[in-house]
Amino acid sequence: MINWAQVFFNSAITGSLYLIGAVGLTLTYGLSRFPNFAHAEFITLGAYIGYLVAEQLGLGLPSALVVAFSVTGIVGVLCYCGILQPLARGGASIIHLMVASIALGFIFRHSIGALWTWKPLYFTAAWSAFDIGPLRISGLWVGLIFAALVLSLAMHFLLMNTKIGKAIRASASNPELALASGINVDRVVWITWFIGAGLAAVAGIFRGADTQIWPMTGWDIILPIFAVAILGGIGNFYGSIVAAFIIGLAENIGVVGLIALGFSTTYRIGIAFLILIITLIVRPQGLAMLFRRA
Amino acid sequence: MEEALLGIREVSKHFGGVYAVNGVSLDIKSGSIWGLVGPNGSGKTTLFNTVFGIHRPDEGAIYFNGNCISNLAPHQIYALGLVNAFQIPRLFSKLTVLDNMLVAARGHQGDGLLNSLFLRKSWQEQEAELADKAMEILELLELDHLALSSAGELSGGQRKLLEIGRGLMASPTLLLLDEPAAGVNPNLGRRIFEGIERLRQTMGLSFFIIEHRLEILFDFAHWVYVMDRGKIVIEGKPEEVVAAPVFYQVYLGE
Amino acid sequence: MDPLLYVFDLIVFIGIFSIVSLSLNLEFGFAGLANFGKVAFFLIGAYTYALLSQVGVPFYLCLVAGALISAIFGLVISLPALRLREDYLAIAILAFGEILRLIVKSEDWLAGGDWGVTVSPAISLVGASHRVDALINIALVYLCLFICFLVVQLLTNSPYGRVVRAIREDEVAAEALGKDKSKYKAQALMLGSAMTGIAGGLYAQYLQCVLPGMFMPMITFTVWIMVLLGGPANNWGALLGACLVEIFDRGTNIAKDYLTLPIDPSNLQYILFGALIIVVLLYRPQGLLKETQVRTKAMEMVRRGRSAVRNKGS
Repeated sequence: MINWAQVFFNSAITGSLYLIGAVGLTLTYGLSRFPNFAHAEFITLGAYIGYLVAEQLGLGLPSALVVAFSVTGIVGVLCYCGILQPLARGGASIIHLMVASIALGFIFRHSIGALWTWKPLYFTAAWSAFDIGPLRISGLWVGLIFAALVLSLAMHFLLMNTKIGKAIRASASNPELALASGINVDRVVWITWFIGAGLAAVAGIFRGADTQIWPMTGWDIILPIFAVAILGGIGNFYGSIVAAFIIGLAENIGVVGLIALGFSTTYRIGIAFLILIITLIVRPQGLAMLFRRA
Repeated sequence: MEEALLGIREVSKHFGGVYAVNGVSLDIKSGSIWGLVGPNGSGKTTLFNTVFGIHRPDEGAIYFNGNCISNLAPHQIYALGLVNAFQIPRLFSKLTVLDNMLVAARGHQGDGLLNSLFLRKSWQEQEAELADKAMEILELLELDHLALSSAGELSGGQRKLLEIGRGLMASPTLLLLDEPAAGVNPNLGRRIFEGIERLRQTMGLSFFIIEHRLEILFDFAHWVYVMDRGKIVIEGKPEEVVAAPVFYQVYLGE
Repeated sequence: MDPLLYVFDLIVFIGIFSIVSLSLNLEFGFAGLANFGKVAFFLIGAYTYALLSQVGVPFYLCLVAGALISAIFGLVISLPALRLREDYLAIAILAFGEILRLIVKSEDWLAGGDWGVTVSPAISLVGASHRVDALINIALVYLCLFICFLVVQLLTNSPYGRVVRAIREDEVAAEALGKDKSKYKAQALMLGSAMTGIAGGLYAQYLQCVLPGMFMPMITFTVWIMVLLGGPANNWGALLGACLVEIFDRGTNIAKDYLTLPIDPSNLQYILFGALIIVVLLYRPQGLLKETQVRTKAMEMVRRGRSAVRNKGS
C-alpha cells in the first residue's frame, strides 16, 4: 500500500530544497540573461562553509547558516562583478557567459576539493527520524520546509513592499525603463546576485545535512534546480514556488511509479531532467504567463 | 490587362488588437517601379514583412505569380523569386562583403551537403560566374573595393547598399526595398535609384519600394500607393498623387 | 611505464579527441549550435561499437554503425531542439546527455551497468608488443581523423560552409535569402554527431572497455575548452586546441609523480583549466587561431584579381 501522506511530505521536502536553490538562479538568469552554472558551486560552497563553521569551528548550525549565506553571497557578487559583468560588457554572447560560469564552477569545485579533499563529509548534528502517524519525519526536514516557507514569505514581502524589491521587479521586466526612472540597475543586479548566491548556500547546507557534503553537492542537484527555474518562468519568483512543488511531487510520485514498474530508483533524478527538456521544447517561457511577474 | 505579379487582397495584420495593416489591397504588375509611401507608423514595413512571410496575414491573401504565398515561409517565398531587403540591414558581420553577396545567390549548386562535397567541379564554375556577377553589382554600388573586407566593418550607408546588393544578387522577379535611400547622402540616393532603373530596363526586374525621400522616389516610380494608419488612402501616378489634397492631409495631419 | 608507449598513448588520445574537437567546431564554431551534450554522442558511439563488436561484427562496420546511430540521435534531438534559443538548446542537450548516462548506468541488461562491457581492439596482431598495438591504433585513429578533417575542410570551404556561417550570424536574414535554416542546422548536428560517434568507437576499442564512468560531463567541457582555445570556426584551431589541452592534461598528471606541489595536481589541473577558459574568453575570445574565411577557387581568383588591380594602380 502506498503511503501517500509520506509521498506528499517527501514532495514538500524535495520541493523546498529545490525552491531555496532555485530562487537565486531564476532571478539572476532573468536579470543577467544567461544561465549561471556556477550556481551549482555556490550551493557547494555554502555546504562547505557551513561545515567549516558548524563542525570545524564548532559554532553550530544557526551560525553556519548565517555565515554561509553572507560569505557565499559576497563570493557571488564578486564573481559577477569581477568576471561575468566585464565579459558581458565586452560583448560576450550568452554561450560565452555560460561557459565562463562553468569555468568558474571548475575553479570553485576543485579549490574546495583541494582544501577539503574529495572524501564525503557529514554534519555531526543528529536529526533522528521519528514517526507521527503514518509519517516518518525528522527535525531537519521540518526545518527545511519551514525555511522554504519563511523564504517565500520574506521574498514576497521584499518584492512587493520594499523599495529594493520593486527595483528588482522593474529591472527584471524593463532594464532601460528602470534605468531611466533613476533606479541604479547595477546595484540592483549586485544585490540580486548576493541574495541568489546566499540562498544557494542555504540550500547547500540543507542538502549536505540531508545527504552528504562533497564537491559535487551542488552539481548533483543543479539540473533539477534549472528545471524549477525554467518551468516557473525564468526571472519569476512566484512561478518557481509552484514549479518547485510540481517537480517535487513529480519526483516523489515518480519514485512510486518507478518501483511499481520495476525500474531502478536512480532514475528519480531523471524525472526532473525530463521535465526540464520537455518544458524547454514545449513551453520555454514556463508557467510565466499564469503568474504576476515577480 | 496583364496579370498582377504580386496581388494583395484585403490583407490585415494586427498585434494584440492594434491593426498595423487594415484591409489593404493592391496589385504590383511586372516591369515597373512601384512606390509605397506614408507617414511613420502607417504600416508600410509591416505590410512588407507580411508579404515576405515574416508575419502571417490575419485576414486576406497574398498571391505571387499566381501562387498563394500567404502561408509560406520566407525561404520558400525567396525561392519563388520574391526577395526582401531589410530596412535595417541584417548583414553577416563575420563574413566578407563578397561572401554576403554570394550567400544571396539562388540555386547555387554548392549549397547542398552532398553536392558541395562531391560535385566540386560544377559548383566551382558556377561560383566563378556568381563572383563575377557579385563584383558587377558591387561596382554599381561602389562597394567593390570593400569586397574582401568583413561586412561588420562597413559604415551605415555602406551597409544599406550591401543589403540592396544582396537582394539584387538573387535575380529576383520582384524586389521589395524598404527605404533604400535612407541614411545615405541624397546624391548617392539618387544614384541608387538610377541603378535600380537601369536594372529594371536591362534585367527586367520589378521593384516595390518604401521610401521617405519622396523627391527621389517620385522621379522614378511609375505608380505610388499612399498608406496611412494601416489603409491605402490613395494611389496613382506620382504627379497625380502629389496633386491630391488627401496626400498633404496624410503627411501634415489634419 | 615505458616512456615511448606513454607518448604513443598521448598521440592516440590527441587523435581521438581531435575528431571530437572538429565535430564541436563544426556544430558551434561554424553553425552556432551550443552542443553541451557532446559526451552523450561519444558514449553512443562507444557503446554501439562495444555491443556490436561483442557479437562479432568487424571493426569497420562497428565504427560506421557508431557513426550512424549517433547521427540518428543527433537528428532526433534536432527535430524539437533546433528552434530553441542558444542557451535553451545548450541546457536541453546537457540534460539529454545526463539522462543517457543515467540509463546506461542503470540498465544492466543493456550495457553491463556500472561494470560496463569489455571490447576487443579493432586490429590485433598475434604476439604483438604493446608498442606495436599502440602504433596500429595510431594508424587507425589518424586515418579516421584525416578523413574527418578532409570532410570538414571541404564542407566549410564551399558554398555550403558559407550558408552555415550565414545562418550562425543571422538566421532570419539567411532565411530571407532562401536558406532553410532548420535543414542546415540539423545536418550540422548530424554530421558532428556522426564524427563523435566514430571517435567514441575508436575510444572504446583502444581502452578495450566501456564504463559509464568514462563518460562524465567533464569530457564535454574539455572538448569545449579545446574549441574555444584553438579558435572557433577554424579547423586547424580545433586540432591545435585538442593537442594543447591533451598535453596539458598529461603534463599535470606527470607532474603529480615528479613534483610535490601543495595542491593535488588533479585539482590544480581543473582550477587551471577553469582559469584558462576565463582568460581566453576575457582576452582572446576568438581563440588562438582566428576564424577562417571561406576559401574556394573563385574567392582565390577574386583575391588575386584584387591585388593585381592594386598593383597596377600603384
